[in-house]
Amino acid sequence: MSGPRTWLARRLLLGVAQTAAVVLLVFALTEALPGDAAVALAGDQPDPERIAAIREAMDLDRPAHERLAAWAAGLAHGDFGTSLASGRPVSTYITDGFGPTLLLAALTVVLLVPVGVGLGVLTARHEGGPVDRLVSSVTLGVYAVPEFALGVLLVTVFALRLGWLPPTAVGYGTDLLAHPAALVLPVLVLLSRPVCSLARLVRAGMIDALDSPYAAHARRYGIPGFRIRYGHALPNALAPATQQLARTVDWLLCGVIVVEALYVIPGLGTVLMNAVAERDVPVVQGLAVVFGVATVVLNLGADLVSRRLAPRSEVAA
Amino acid sequence: MNPVNAVAEIDNLRVIVGDRAIVDGVNLRVLPGRITALVGASGSGKTTTGLALLGEYPAGARVSGDVRVPDGLVGYVPQQPGAVLNPARRVGALLRDIARTQVRHLPRRDRRAAVRARVLRALALAQLPEATAMLRRFPHQLSGGQQQRVVLAQALLLGAKVVVADEPTTGQDALTKRGIVDQLAAVSREGIGVVLLSHDLDVVRALADEVLVLRDGHVVESGPAERLWLAPRHPWTAELLASGAPTARIEPASEGAEVLRVGRLTARHGRTAVLRLPELSLHAGQCLAVVGRSGSGKTTLARCLAGLHRNHDGVIHLDGTPLPRSLRDRTRRQLAAVQYVFQDAGASFDEHRPVLHQVARTAVRLRGMTETDALAEARSTLLGLGLADDLVHRRPGHLSGGELQRAALARALLARPRVLICDEITSGLDTVTRRAILDTLAGRVRERGDLSLVLITHDLTTAALATHIAVLEAGALVEEAPSRQLLTAPRHPLGIRPTEVPATD
Repeated sequence: MSGPRTWLARRLLLGVAQTAAVVLLVFALTEALPGDAAVALAGDQPDPERIAAIREAMDLDRPAHERLAAWAAGLAHGDFGTSLASGRPVSTYITDGFGPTLLLAALTVVLLVPVGVGLGVLTARHEGGPVDRLVSSVTLGVYAVPEFALGVLLVTVFALRLGWLPPTAVGYGTDLLAHPAALVLPVLVLLSRPVCSLARLVRAGMIDALDSPYAAHARRYGIPGFRIRYGHALPNALAPATQQLARTVDWLLCGVIVVEALYVIPGLGTVLMNAVAERDVPVVQGLAVVFGVATVVLNLGADLVSRRLAPRSEVAA
Repeated sequence: MNPVNAVAEIDNLRVIVGDRAIVDGVNLRVLPGRITALVGASGSGKTTTGLALLGEYPAGARVSGDVRVPDGLVGYVPQQPGAVLNPARRVGALLRDIARTQVRHLPRRDRRAAVRARVLRALALAQLPEATAMLRRFPHQLSGGQQQRVVLAQALLLGAKVVVADEPTTGQDALTKRGIVDQLAAVSREGIGVVLLSHDLDVVRALADEVLVLRDGHVVESGPAERLWLAPRHPWTAELLASGAPTARIEPASEGAEVLRVGRLTARHGRTAVLRLPELSLHAGQCLAVVGRSGSGKTTLARCLAGLHRNHDGVIHLDGTPLPRSLRDRTRRQLAAVQYVFQDAGASFDEHRPVLHQVARTAVRLRGMTETDALAEARSTLLGLGLADDLVHRRPGHLSGGELQRAALARALLARPRVLICDEITSGLDTVTRRAILDTLAGRVRERGDLSLVLITHDLTTAALATHIAVLEAGALVEEAPSRQLLTAPRHPLGIRPTEVPATD
């Protein structure tokens, strides 16, 4: 109906609106929490005078819309405010936690895409055969195991019993790349379920695509099998997998709390957990905005890729 | 006997699926530069024979006999060319891949240019204009005619000595048909043997050098096209050829009162007006054919009448009372009075329930009959349309397209409609089946007397059977008159060659 340019413009505009909505929602939700930071900070001495003093010092006595405007204006400049617990800028929390989380996410995705797609294509090619049945049973089984259970199991076997790998990343700080052995177990746990869901989606799509008249036509005209599978059938099978991949990357970037807690990795998930425990509202707000924006951006990317892979269906925008 | 070497040969081919021989003892010789047509009704084994040349057989088939293709290169243009074009890849992708398999002997740095030159040459041979722009497009951005040319270009690029074209003109309007006929003639002039699988006798007559007539997997007659046409030896050939001739006109004994009146009407899709009509009326027993090319607004008109398209500003009167615009607001009596038979009969049935029960449901829902009475009436109506009892107890998947179309007709008739709208109900069918369905319709109108038909069609031969014809073009009614008058002295050029209009007396 409309050209790709107008579609893109509309989609970007929608992304901006979604981001604004995320910012508003985060503010509204923290505003709705019972009590406020001043009460929390007053801690053991809930003396009304002290609370009022803290409120005034933190500008909490100003009307909500003024605080929202100030906060949103700060966000636009990359200023997320300051932590209540430590007085450090929120942005340093985010940048500190982002390193390890990004490292884990990147490693996971780099392994996830070839393994997931490869397994999907392999099983689709041997549909109903022993390879397909074996891989499908294993992926279904692994998918059914929750992260924390698999994490504990791997630690028990590989770290405690066999002693091949360190059980946690305690003591390595944020520079995890220098200690690759500490990354093996968390990445394995992060990979386990996404690989299974991706492989199963790609398998279903590939079975349809390989069975289609256009694949039969390419075979008829002597195109090599490898080229048919990866050049002609796979693009059709990937559209649903792209959306799933975007959701997975989003999940990874938002700090998988279970995995970070289990392996004591100082990523965003850990930062979030600590901030919640300390009622450090500005940090929670900052993280919520970062997570929200990541979701918006990733879905925008997935829509762009899907549109290219399934050019007939106009992705709604 | 023949000094020319055949480019493909089939010797005593027999294909058995289950316990039925779908092809039984077929012999075929394809000569370079000649067009061999396989004609016959649907299910006669044309497509199975054609695909045998490509080395493809139905799943689980037992095959005997000999198929020889010396070069091994056979091109295929299927009935729906869109289906063999990859929706996620640009048109150029497969073309380049085909060319790539042919340039392996060249040094690596010359391959790219060689591939491009070959692809462009093939597109030029297939008469596709703006080749470079075409390569960048996705299949859904091409028209049906362009898709067909792209698929043909693939076969030409392959260097095929034989091209199998399966029903290339089915469902196309007259102008597109003309283009396809020219195209196939040009391909055979290149020295390629063309195997044409078709039930469209006009096209076969225009193109074929050699014709094989198939029935139930047997070749009942074969020979040069001219001889076959002038002096068919087998009664089935005669029947097949006769099916191209006009059928009985759809005419009541006498015309009755006005049933349906459509006031001035503008129908829109979103904000775009797609159909503008002045007043139009339909009398009891009348048959109004609505003709026009695809996209002219024929179906939109039918959908407005049936209450399926609400976005219009006209008032439609049934027996003098205005009909609500939407199906949902119409009473049962009003719903029963205007019935619709869709082009794709298969899609209009639930695939999980027996046909008989679905047909009977109309009488239960719209006429308040009991289940038993409805089933009895459905059975007798279906029998009257030539569908035997054991057939209608099956699920829709086990019936052929023609049989499903009859069942859909029975389902609509069970509502005892005043107006029956038939939307291209014969366009996917072979000539023999088409003739039988049109005869059935004519019989019903004569029997009932007060049944009015609206026949949506792009086929003038079918339209000529009606009492009145309305011609639509680009969403406007350009002419409406009794069919004798319109066919003998049209005021508007129909864009259809006069030879396609049969004699009407």
